[in-house]
Amino acid sequence: MLQVNSGSMEAPAATTTISRDQLLRHLASVSGSPDLHSSLHALAQYVGASHYLLARCDVLQENGLDFVISSDWPFYLVKRLASESMATYARTSEVEKCLQLFQPGFSLLPDDLALPDRISRQYCSMTFNIGRTRLSLMLLFREGFAPSPERLRDAGLLAGYCVSFSHYAEGRSERDFELTDRELECLFWIAEGKTSDEIAVILGISRNTINNYITSVMRKTATKTRSEAIAFAVRNNLV
Amino acid sequence: MSSAFKMPRTQRISSRSDLYPRLVAMQKLIDAQHFAVCRLGGAGAAGKARLTMELDNFGPTSAADGKAFLDAYGDVLIDHMDKSMLPLLWNGVDEGSTAETPDLTPFTVRLRPKLLPCAGVAFPVRLGAVGNGYVSFMANYVDLASDLIVELHGRSCQIMMDLLALDEKRSPAAEALSDREIACLQLAGDGRISEEIAERLRLSVHTVNAYLGSATIKLDSVNRIQAIAKAIRLGYII
Repeated sequence: MLQVNSGSMEAPAATTTISRDQLLRHLASVSGSPDLHSSLHALAQYVGASHYLLARCDVLQENGLDFVISSDWPFYLVKRLASESMATYARTSEVEKCLQLFQPGFSLLPDDLALPDRISRQYCSMTFNIGRTRLSLMLLFREGFAPSPERLRDAGLLAGYCVSFSHYAEGRSERDFELTDRELECLFWIAEGKTSDEIAVILGISRNTINNYITSVMRKTATKTRSEAIAFAVRNNLV
Repeated sequence: MSSAFKMPRTQRISSRSDLYPRLVAMQKLIDAQHFAVCRLGGAGAAGKARLTMELDNFGPTSAADGKAFLDAYGDVLIDHMDKSMLPLLWNGVDEGSTAETPDLTPFTVRLRPKLLPCAGVAFPVRLGAVGNGYVSFMANYVDLASDLIVELHGRSCQIMMDLLALDEKRSPAAEALSDREIACLQLAGDGRISEEIAERLRLSVHTVNAYLGSATIKLDSVNRIQAIAKAIRLGYII
């Protein structure tokens, strides 16, 4: 029979949460390691969470589990999480997301999911940004446990430090689409409402060159109109 | 799936001057002499991004001090914003003018020393597509224990979010967009030309263009392309 290690199913025994000093000492000691798990696990302990999951929000809509950077959530919950968090994520605008840095939000896991023993259906999530990549830290808690807002914010911040340190969140946008600096500049000015003539003046190059850049952008991003190209750029945080 | 709720934020501020007492309190926490808040603007990834001073208490020499700071470290700060949220520390010209962290050294980044008269620390705040920048404190000498760093960085994030909220308040859409206007914007953003939108929504091309035109005006834009960009950022369309 196939044995699969699928993350701990049981809630950990009553965790004694650690102090901020202990947490910081631990983080400093493991900072050289490329493995985020040890640091994130310590952060989870600090806030009294039973499990943690660190995800890349920009990868959420793809199938598969690439959105997970590091986690000790029970595996079957992880598989459902993508569709659940995507729904919440899509409901807020970019500006709203900007105004929620490190703000803990609470959501419920679907009723049809059987949860591990004594784990609350309510999970907490916080987003933060490393460069162009938005990340979400999602935490499970034991039933009846109310995490402290201060500790949650500290944990979010320190998670950001750990990820910054380990360079996990290398931007994918520019590399994936291979847009050159000039092409991105054109996109920026178009999003500001400038015409090709105006951009030509701004950048000091000819209008034909500008149009060539734009054609190139539309080819690389498989878009048919300037409107679509700009929409694409805004959606992918390129402008 | 039931909708998420967020923990209540601290009370909204009504103007930039509300931020000064908070920044002064933060500055006093670490015995610094000045604070400065700067924000990133300009072309997204095109390397033409610029930092602009938004708030500071340098006093009568404010313009010169702000410029000196950005001249010295502006490029590094812009570059750093693209890949990390670790705090930045720098030492000043004098021997005794240093910024120290006894216990959080791996999680801080050192800038080139001796470029400015005083030492200091800069906390990067990356909110997302907009509102990014640094909250910095300048001092003759500063010794930052880890809990001070965490505390100040957390408060810095709040400052930048409040600044962004102020900006948003100052320029709301003149009126709400109608359903038709939203539908036309969405389809245009999906790559449809006016004829296709007209067919899809069973309107004439003129009507479609009229809707796009009125949406453009309501979103305070010069053309439909700029309107689409704003509409996505503000959440009217996806």
